[in-house]
Amino acid sequence: MAELQRSDADQLAYDEAFDRDGNVRPLYAAIVERFSNFDAAELRRREGIIEEEFRRQGITFTVYGDSQGTERTWPMDLFPRLIAATEWQEIERGLSQRVTALNRFLADIYTGEGAAMADGVVPAWLVQSSDGFERNAFGVSVPHDAHCVIAGIDLVRDAEGQYRVLEDNLRNPSGISYVIENRAAMTRAFPRVWEDHTVEPVGQYGRMLRTALESVAPTGAGDKPLIVILTPGIYNSAYFEHAFLAREMGVELVEGPDLVVDEHVVYLRTIEGLVPVDVIYRRIDDTFLDPVSFRPDSTLGVPGLLGAMRAGTVTVCNAVGNGVADDKAIHPYVTDLIRYYLGEEPILPNVETYVMWEPDQREAAFERLDELVIKPVGESGGYGIVIGRNATDEELANARAEIEADPRNWVVQEVVELSTLASMCDDVLEPRHLDLRPFVITGERTQVFPGGLTRVAMRKGSLIVNSSQGGGSKDTWVLAPQGETQAAT
Amino acid sequence: MRLDIAYRLHFTYAERVSESQNEIRVRPRDDLRQQVLSYRLTTTPATRVLQTRDYFGTTVDHLGIRGPHDDLLVVAEASVETSPTGSGPAPVGCERLGDQQFINQHVEYLVPSQHVHWGALVDEVASWAVRGAADDVSERVLAVAQAVPTVLTYERGSTSIGVTLEELIDGGRGVCQDFAHLAVGMLRCIGIPARYVSGYLFALDETRLDEGPDDGRPAAGEGASGAGVDGNSHGIVGEDVFAPERPPAASPTAISVQTHAWIEAAVPGYGWHALDPTNGGSVSERHVVIGYGRDYNDVPPVRGVFNGSADAKVDAEVIIAQPTAPVSMVTEPIRRQARVAVSPSTDVAAQQQAAQQQQ
Repeated sequence: MAELQRSDADQLAYDEAFDRDGNVRPLYAAIVERFSNFDAAELRRREGIIEEEFRRQGITFTVYGDSQGTERTWPMDLFPRLIAATEWQEIERGLSQRVTALNRFLADIYTGEGAAMADGVVPAWLVQSSDGFERNAFGVSVPHDAHCVIAGIDLVRDAEGQYRVLEDNLRNPSGISYVIENRAAMTRAFPRVWEDHTVEPVGQYGRMLRTALESVAPTGAGDKPLIVILTPGIYNSAYFEHAFLAREMGVELVEGPDLVVDEHVVYLRTIEGLVPVDVIYRRIDDTFLDPVSFRPDSTLGVPGLLGAMRAGTVTVCNAVGNGVADDKAIHPYVTDLIRYYLGEEPILPNVETYVMWEPDQREAAFERLDELVIKPVGESGGYGIVIGRNATDEELANARAEIEADPRNWVVQEVVELSTLASMCDDVLEPRHLDLRPFVITGERTQVFPGGLTRVAMRKGSLIVNSSQGGGSKDTWVLAPQGETQAAT
Repeated sequence: MRLDIAYRLHFTYAERVSESQNEIRVRPRDDLRQQVLSYRLTTTPATRVLQTRDYFGTTVDHLGIRGPHDDLLVVAEASVETSPTGSGPAPVGCERLGDQQFINQHVEYLVPSQHVHWGALVDEVASWAVRGAADDVSERVLAVAQAVPTVLTYERGSTSIGVTLEELIDGGRGVCQDFAHLAVGMLRCIGIPARYVSGYLFALDETRLDEGPDDGRPAAGEGASGAGVDGNSHGIVGEDVFAPERPPAASPTAISVQTHAWIEAAVPGYGWHALDPTNGGSVSERHVVIGYGRDYNDVPPVRGVFNGSADAKVDAEVIIAQPTAPVSMVTEPIRRQARVAVSPSTDVAAQQQAAQQQQ
């Protein structure tokens, strides 16, 4: 029988499955019970099934920063993450609220009056100095102001179990394919686990996304707008996901040269000739979209695309320039943006973040850098982060010097003792830190896809959950409200 | 002053090409100092031109030809009424530059941009330029504008657009956009917000014309705007030089030039103050503004790509005339060799694919 460890005795973090006295939480009672009946050999066997499932399907990801560009099989831990229905409803409301405000902000910047800047909610200079502020997007409007059709919002739970927003991903958030594949792998490895739980299905994502993309088609696109996914190509780390989504939605997967612009209309080259394209779900960066207006050396984009966008004949999703709103330097202002645009109190608080261009906040942070997390604004994927309590004096002094040299480029956050959950490590289920990335879809309205991607730091004590940094994932179950029954997949 | 401007851009390709796409920024701007009376842009072959306005308020004509073509002619004609420039800024102490609100308002024009990066050398040259200037922002701006022509010698075709400010200073030669970039960099590095202005200069022969010998040197635009796309990039990047052709004796009021570039600096309590570093200082009613930006890259007269393996040649010329006087257009184009076709290597494609950020 496998021993499920609650946690280390001195653990500060909130454990998802066990309370501080080591008693299993009711939410997890059935799953803990079920896992308690498996011995180490049985768990290994099922782990093997999951691994084989991903390998067989070629579900991999690339680790950047590794000189060999290593491809690895997608790592999924076999112990699932559960979210109660009532808890999920709160998250859902909080995420809808947040993404609605972020879309308002983007519309305000690119096609509006810049009201939030004029009213001093966000400093205009901060927007203008953001790497994600794309001047070419100025004046390009998007139906329903759905600048961000697909958002991935990274949530963590603090020591009290409170969900907080760590980061917004509003450009090309990835991971949704893994949510769906994780569920499939779980079902294969534990076919009877569904007997004890009624879990919200995840299989409807393709339809949900397709509906949203159809709804942002330009006026005049007709009832059946032509949607394509524009991928950079097979060398991209998320190519698997691009192909997966094309299949799930039943749309074409294309590369730049498959499209051509004629008199400000984008066409798909087909064997039957040119077919006008209405919506492009692109997974390439802004600056590669169109070599005429952006980087002239881009081999991935479509010449004349920006002109077509300006002419209003095609919608590009996510919209160009979203990086300004998921700039880590803007993150601390998002709760105020919610109050400003919606007149509501934010449902999900931010992780407490200090901005280094405000002298008071900077000095206060310098007093206790060894207790805080230092993040470069321009990096993602967990790169460049300094965790104060693990850093040497020299590393802290360097960080301080770098902050002083360029305060705009750094934010400092309170450490969040990410919540933990039992995860399979060397044949033992031990608590490991995790986060949650739900996906928020905006078309005519904003909806939250049930669950999301749970990422887990497989190294003991580590708070870095990014898969590019050796993190794993977990199947994430949103339990259906009591009294309802639904299929699991 | 009423000025009629004809901007003629002629792309000729060694072989037929297709799918050329271009953004053109040549329409003069409407503002307090100048009024556009008319503007018309035509292309051969004909195509639908989409006119938009960019972030900086510059008018952009988007146009593309999808079918096979051997050449593409774009002609833009504008009539503009310009007014004399007013008096310059009153003296204002340099401590005003440190005002946080002033800095925040001009942040885009204080930080490095694509073509304007500076290091120790620019810093040194800038300090040297203002060494004798009083504690007055406008005097410092003028000192920088006047120092640039002592650092650089005007020489047609002497540089291409990718050159850094350090390389410019070392080389000691440049065209008007280099003069403007260096001035912008020097001003920003001493804390004065500065922007790049693209426009036309109606220059009669008496203005500064230290034109270098035309030695058949390759054109400025060569190798300019990055590696090839599926087809090619063409841009007469680096070629919109202030390069007056000698006007024929018979036409005292018409002159063929390329587009010109100068600068504007933000002076506290005054606003944007225009100066022409290529001509050592003042901007007059003979300067016609197209638009401004952080540097050349925000307001290039033309930017575009085409699909095909052919070499392209771009002839660009501007003819400016004062319609009140007898006019004889100068039509001799300034010939320049556009960049050679480059097929992207598979390495480049793979690197770019891998580099696309998936959050």
